[in-house]
Amino acid sequence: MSAFIIDEVKKTFSNGEVEEEILKGVNLSLKEGEITALIGPSGSGKSTILTIAAGLQKASTGEIMFDGKDMTKMSPEEVRHIRATDFGFVFQSSHLVPFLTVEEQLQLMLDVSETKMSKKEQTNAIEEMLKLVEMEHRKESYPSSLSGGERQRVAIARAIIHRPKILFADEPTASLDTKRSKGVMELLQELTRTLKLTTLMVTHDEEMLPYVDRVITMRDGYIVE
Amino acid sequence: MKIAWKEMKKNKTRFLILGSIIFLVSFLTFIISGLANGLSQDNAALIKDLPQGQFYLDKDADKTYNLSKIDEGVQQQILIDHPEATAFSVQMGFVNDEDDKQHSLAFVTSTDSALFEKVKEGEIVLDRSLQEDGIQVGDVLTNNQFSGEFIVKGFVDQQKYSHAPVAFIDMTNYQEIYRVMEMQTIFIPGKDAPTLSALDSFSNKEFLNAIPSYNAEQMSLNMIVWFLVIISGMLFAIFFYMMNVQKIGLYGILKAIGMKTISLFKMIWYQMLVITAISLALSIALSQAFSLIAPEGMPFHLTMDTVLMLSAVFMVVGFIGATISGFQVKNIEPLQAIQQGEM
Ligand SMILES: Nc1ncnc2c1ncn2[C@@H]1O[C@H](COP(=O)(O)OP(=O)(O)OP(=O)(O)O)[C@@H](O)[C@H]1O
Ligand SMILES: [Mg+2]
Repeated sequence: MSAFIIDEVKKTFSNGEVEEEILKGVNLSLKEGEITALIGPSGSGKSTILTIAAGLQKASTGEIMFDGKDMTKMSPEEVRHIRATDFGFVFQSSHLVPFLTVEEQLQLMLDVSETKMSKKEQTNAIEEMLKLVEMEHRKESYPSSLSGGERQRVAIARAIIHRPKILFADEPTASLDTKRSKGVMELLQELTRTLKLTTLMVTHDEEMLPYVDRVITMRDGYIVE
Repeated sequence: MKIAWKEMKKNKTRFLILGSIIFLVSFLTFIISGLANGLSQDNAALIKDLPQGQFYLDKDADKTYNLSKIDEGVQQQILIDHPEATAFSVQMGFVNDEDDKQHSLAFVTSTDSALFEKVKEGEIVLDRSLQEDGIQVGDVLTNNQFSGEFIVKGFVDQQKYSHAPVAFIDMTNYQEIYRVMEMQTIFIPGKDAPTLSALDSFSNKEFLNAIPSYNAEQMSLNMIVWFLVIISGMLFAIFFYMMNVQKIGLYGILKAIGMKTISLFKMIWYQMLVITAISLALSIALSQAFSLIAPEGMPFHLTMDTVLMLSAVFMVVGFIGATISGFQVKNIEPLQAIQQGEM
């Protein structure tokens, strides 16, 4: 059963006078426990479809079905609530909060998602999650003192600490060297399997493809294979 | 609101600068309002300390109290109709002390009333500030318009008029000095304010404003106070606005992961509240200390009531300023902010 279906999504941007159709009808369904990778040339619309699916911008037409409901018909507050509880995000740069320590970043995400966990359960979940991404030894560090790879691992931990159903990642390895990139991919693969996540990621890097379950190629606003 | 607190702890300088500006502005405001209040006390304590009531001047005086001459018949009738009423007069003048040193003061005389000092002919009761000038009970004072002498009977606190100490004297002596038989003003305490045909009537506030210079003085000082309050509100708005601009990326990320806009507002409010509370506490403490060490001659009078009232106003103004700056946060699109961060 598909958890997430993108159906005939189109997106038009108007730059002043000119209307440009960037997505020309994208169809895609994501499967639970799988990593789906979006690849394709620059400007083909990968980031655009990812952010629309993630509820960060609106589609011009089309439907996005999540848990049997059409997200394009929801109020901004409903979409926000889904982002807070059911989605997780990893971006190209880690976008951590500069004045929070590693464990506080995760605590913040738990607070935002209004988790029903008790205080003790939260502490344990943070502890476990940091072990999983191998960052427990840096839990009291601030982002500025971490390396790029470490930051990205914390960003991944933050993206899934609240147990979301879908994980969205836009070029999560782009700022890392090959060795670190592979580390991050291994982590995403493991987390997707063990936590039964549905993961959609955008990547440029062919070397990351062995770690994913499905590869979708985009070109000029269409999915080509 | 841990996140708001953590931010302040990590970015101490930024918030310290804002705090110290708020501290300086509020301190200045307290000092100036202390001065305004002190000057008003110095200018008109005699009138200000009277209970709520109604003042009457002769219609011909054209609202100028020292031109007012109330007809004796009219006065007598009013004092009979309103037993608690009193007629009084004030004029600026001088006395010479035993060393022939001249002291400027305001002579006040009144009909029998609990509201003014009762003095016998040839006696004088002075404001305490003259005691500091070296005059003592039992001293003999003279006035060049007055054939007799005044014996100092005692001193009273906080009786000032037109920035001069008040001297209470008997009606007969007053009439001799100023060569008038009529009184200037009738005051009827209490809520009922009868309309009296031959007389203009004034509330306490209107009468205070009829004192030369009182209005001008108070208006300019109060204007400064309110300007400072408005400036502090703008400072908040501008400062938070600039901080918010720097934090667009952060707010975008927080919104992207699903934080409510109201939580971002709460963050801003919390920070505003903490900074204002600390700055105000400091300037309240310092302004109270200042009122203790203020030089004796300086008309400085700052009550806790005034301070707390102004502090509340600062809180409200800070809240408004911070909230205005928050509207830009409301409009931040998470996606734009994230992409901006990546560029
Ligand atoms: N807000 C916008 N307004 C106008 N045009 C936009 C906007 N966002 C994206 N585009 C355009 O849409 C096209 C697709 O952009 P998108 O970011 O989805 O590409 P991409 O496949 O992610 O490329 P890359 O691999 O370089 O990240 C680009 O031509 C871009 O200029
Ligand atoms: Mg992209």
